[in-house]
Amino acid sequence: MFSGYHTKKRVNERYKIVGFISSGTYGRVYKAEGRNGRVGEFAIKKFKPDKEGELQYSGISQSAIREMALCTELSHPNVVHTVEIILEEKCIFIVFEYAEHDLLQIIHHHNQTQRQAIPARTIKSILYQLLQGLLYLHRNWTMHRDLKPANIMVTSAGKVKIGDLGLARLFYKPLHSLFTGDKVVVTIWYRAPELLLGARHYTPAVDLWAVGCIFAELLSLRPIFKGEEAKMDSKKSVPFQRNQMQKIVEILGMPSKERWPLLAAMPEFGQLSSLAAGNPRLHRPQGLENWYQNCLKNNQYPPGSSVDSPGPEGFLLLQQLLEYDPQKRLTAEKALQHPYFTTGEKPSDNCFEGSKIKYPCRRVSSEDNDIRTSSLPGTKRSGLPDDSLIGRPAKRLKEK
Amino acid sequence: MAANYWESTQRKFWTFTRQDLAQERKKLEESERSLVNAFPMPDRRHLSIYFSNQLTKMARPLAIRQQAMATAQVYVRRFYTKVEIRRTNPLLVLATALYLACKMEECPQHIRIILAEARHCWDASFNDISKIGECEFTLISELNSQLIVHHPYRSLAELQTQFQLTQEENSLAWSIINDHYLTDLPLLHAPHVIAITALILAVVLKPTQSGYQLHAAGVANALQTLSNVGNARNAEGPGFPPRLQKLIDWLAESSVDIEAVIECTQELISLYHVWDDYQEKAVKDAIAKFVKARD
Repeated sequence: MFSGYHTKKRVNERYKIVGFISSGTYGRVYKAEGRNGRVGEFAIKKFKPDKEGELQYSGISQSAIREMALCTELSHPNVVHTVEIILEEKCIFIVFEYAEHDLLQIIHHHNQTQRQAIPARTIKSILYQLLQGLLYLHRNWTMHRDLKPANIMVTSAGKVKIGDLGLARLFYKPLHSLFTGDKVVVTIWYRAPELLLGARHYTPAVDLWAVGCIFAELLSLRPIFKGEEAKMDSKKSVPFQRNQMQKIVEILGMPSKERWPLLAAMPEFGQLSSLAAGNPRLHRPQGLENWYQNCLKNNQYPPGSSVDSPGPEGFLLLQQLLEYDPQKRLTAEKALQHPYFTTGEKPSDNCFEGSKIKYPCRRVSSEDNDIRTSSLPGTKRSGLPDDSLIGRPAKRLKEK
Repeated sequence: MAANYWESTQRKFWTFTRQDLAQERKKLEESERSLVNAFPMPDRRHLSIYFSNQLTKMARPLAIRQQAMATAQVYVRRFYTKVEIRRTNPLLVLATALYLACKMEECPQHIRIILAEARHCWDASFNDISKIGECEFTLISELNSQLIVHHPYRSLAELQTQFQLTQEENSLAWSIINDHYLTDLPLLHAPHVIAITALILAVVLKPTQSGYQLHAAGVANALQTLSNVGNARNAEGPGFPPRLQKLIDWLAESSVDIEAVIECTQELISLYHVWDDYQEKAVKDAIAKFVKARD
């Protein structure tokens, strides 16, 4: 424009920043309260400029554009609501509804503080709400691609909301294979086997695998497949995630062409045989059923179907989510019709219903509450970095 | 049609009645009365043809897909319902819209490449990526970050299978869809209505005409056929070829708004009429005048 860009809204006129929540590769998230008649609490995501200390407009990153467009388009009770997007002086702010908790924090509270399992009905409600949000995304041709406990928000009213669409993409008629453009997708522990084996055209089924992993983690309070990430080598080619694949095989056993007909067509198929060589554990996998029974026992869920246990239906659901073949894996729609949800009492739309457990509030650091001029993102700070609650390294690689 | 169009921001915020669209534009012109009077503009469709040609010129060396071109054209059309064109540098808006559309349609181009191509094509007055970057903020802000555009191409692909279009018919329908971006139709009708219009025209017109500009006369024939659709239901052997009959039967039984299809057809006829009078220089000069006056 001749006269330059003039912002119509100013973040500081509309919101009072309470403090800093987290940071990641994308930028920083702040907690805020409404100003001038806006009521309530908000989470404001401030995008990092492409280059640090950027004083010029240099074009908005493709992932930020995607997230802005999807957040504006999508609206569902189980997807974090976007209040508005503010473009102000070379910065982009997305204002979200605020959620007091997330699954990572809830799991951590049970594992570290409470030292007891998450009530079975809480898990059922969480999963049911999560799948409804996911069904909505998939019906709207949107793959999330980065589902993990830290990205699943829970409000103080027990509503589950899928958050962080930073890696989400539309999947109808991809102009290019969905593989190109993004080097790495989905935090490695929740990454579907077809992605580990180098699939070029993956599908919404990747999100259902992640839901399976999250279900397992809610039950056992630790990640079911906790692999170590192989770093990119200097040639920037994507390495085979050997250790992650190994963790999966140790429990599920080797995938077979009988169960997964397109297995041999996977680019990294050849890696599987070398994986098995010299690793006797892979020939005697634990088996998902054993894993599940152990988990119920250790966490004192009563055997058999009851309100207090995920029961045998829970195992069947988990098994069908952690299905190697993406074409056989349950869809969000089918998962919602699973006996796990349809037998016994109906899942509540408040995941805290009937539970007396009090979860701690989200930690907010008040050291940094100047959203406009605060030190540039990426600088090391004392606030909580992304994913740090139980000492996890940030697994997501920067998009190229 | 994908279920999501009905809940889309395109349907909720960017589809107008003809009256509302005229009203919006009038309001905009009123607010810039002296500017509007000082710089007369050519027919909006001529302007659109010029824009489309410029985008094509820029996109060709970069091998940018048609879908991104279509999205860019929709952004530009939406943008100019909210910002008076004489307040802008249209070439900068075009380059920026293309840059943004490429990101949305998953075929991103580097901002430097876009700038270089713009300068190469137009000897453009803007010479810094920050100009495009800044214009991107303006564009997104005016579009309220509503950047997902539903195009008729996807509906056409579905219809194509259903009616087993020949290669020629399909490419004719495809180019009719391309042409509709030169009109206000993307702001007036749902993408599947456009796709059906394109399909009918492609089947009714024997795709013998070469070149992608259709003859108005041919389209008028198609229109005649269409207005007979209502009667055709009861008509006994009006002499339609079987494939056309199948299409007409389907139309009569479907819930497709025939009125809307007729309106789209008329809009296209009138586009092909005014196309004959298109002169690039006239449009280019008209734009240059107000751009220069503000420099």
